Amino acid sequence: MFRKILVAIDGSEGATKALRAALDVAKHYESDLHSISIEEHLPHYAATVGEVVEAKQEAADYFRRVIREAESAAIAYGIRLTAHVMPGHEVEAIVQFVKDRGFDLLVIGFMGHSRIYERIWGGTSQNLTRLTPCSVLVVK
Amino acid sequence: MELTWLVAAVWIGMALVASLLSVRLGMSVALVEICVGFAGGNLLDLHATAWIDFLAAVGSVLLTFLAGAEIDLVVLRIRWKETVGIGLTSFLAPFLGTMAYAYWVAGWSLPASQIAGIALSTTSVAVVYAVMLERGYNATALGKVILAACFITDLGTVLALGLIFARYDWWLLAFTLVMAVTLWTLPPVTAWFFAKIGPRISEPETKFILVILFALGALATAAQSEAVLPAYLVGMVLAPVFLDNHTLAQRMRVIAFSLLTPFYFLKAGSLVSLRAVLASAVLIAIFLGVKMVTKFLGVWPLAHAFRFGRREATYTTLLMSTGLTFGTISALYGLSHELISQDQYAILVTAVILSAIVPTLIAERWFDPGGAPKEETFERRSTDRVRRGEPENTQISFGPVQGGTPDVS
Repeated sequence: MFRKILVAIDGSEGATKALRAALDVAKHYESDLHSISIEEHLPHYAATVGEVVEAKQEAADYFRRVIREAESAAIAYGIRLTAHVMPGHEVEAIVQFVKDRGFDLLVIGFMGHSRIYERIWGGTSQNLTRLTPCSVLVVK
Repeated sequence: MELTWLVAAVWIGMALVASLLSVRLGMSVALVEICVGFAGGNLLDLHATAWIDFLAAVGSVLLTFLAGAEIDLVVLRIRWKETVGIGLTSFLAPFLGTMAYAYWVAGWSLPASQIAGIALSTTSVAVVYAVMLERGYNATALGKVILAACFITDLGTVLALGLIFARYDWWLLAFTLVMAVTLWTLPPVTAWFFAKIGPRISEPETKFILVILFALGALATAAQSEAVLPAYLVGMVLAPVFLDNHTLAQRMRVIAFSLLTPFYFLKAGSLVSLRAVLASAVLIAIFLGVKMVTKFLGVWPLAHAFRFGRREATYTTLLMSTGLTFGTISALYGLSHELISQDQYAILVTAVILSAIVPTLIAERWFDPGGAPKEETFERRSTDRVRRGEPENTQISFGPVQGGTPDVS
């Protein structure tokens, strides 16, 4: 049913739960499993180029660790994992990536915000569920 | 002495708050420091002391040096006609336009109008670079031209600040001659010195750079020029050395960002009066508008003439309308040399800060030529993973991170 699965990982507790669920589903359907991590916080309005470069390096080091952990989890399941890191806004970038690569299922961890925030902007999980063209599994 | 420690604790405390906020908000610490300084100046009636003034001045010089040292001279050589054409016009159009508006319409004095022109002529290379890096344009032909043009614009700004208000006498001649000789001989001397001494715990490499910057700064000040002029030019000629020596560049950034630039940006913010900002909100908006319109009049036709598409030309122009560091440095120079009043300073700094934010938001939201961000790709070979004991049956097309300035392959 799900031939191509994308799981969003960022090192958070919710994302770890999502990865476990994605691995279960991928193993069950023998799916092609990809992960996506979004580099969101590059400092805009910086004073020097060096500041931007160092922030980028810090983000890269962080995502290296996150992906290495995801790899270890995948190897334990005997599954091949293809990891991607994209810059940009998390909802916009994930939705576009799903559209471009034709995924059947997106697996995400639940990301809760305050009621006021969700009422005004909508939660990240809510926006991804609404905008992604494929099925979405939100793991709590 | 007790008061000195108290003042130091308050200022560094504000710098710490700014750092934490910048991490939380994902924004540049420089911009947050200006905002925290603004709050401190208006709510706590914070004033700079003589030693804070000195640290702030060193911070601005080091910041300017680092900006110069980030220039990739290879980039400048690529499509140099477009680069120089767009970069020079990007400086001249807003400089002349804003100066004319300030002088003839706003009724500012000539020196104040010149400061306004310089402060709003700038383009922030760092702001442009962050946007490009995030969108993956830093490696494209368009991105390279824009980035290189930004350096030319900044050079125009620094030259204007260093030369317009200089006293044209023997001191200036001496400063010019010493500068010329220093810039000519510095790259080989520096390379020799670094090779001879090497990195040490006592940081002789950093001290060597600081001696050069302070000595030239002293000479520039004697000629009534500005210390940031030699700092930028020295940075430019030493850029190849710094591009090859990331560790030294990083160590100098650590020194600058931990102890020097916080004082500069906090001071720059603390001198902005809320009353002046509220009273002159319309004039601030007009200055921002004049900067953006004159950048458009100057850069857009030229970008279009160089066969940029309409969307690319608009995107380029908007990014080149950004400004931050050199804008605030110019305004602070004007205030400290009594060329502008504190109200005029507040107007200019606010317009400069808005010029970092507004054009970037418009460019990203409506004129992004690519539409969606590109995946950052590098492939880690399976052999590398095996060597490090990582699992073989996973494949990573994972994208970090091109360090340094954009590659020019």
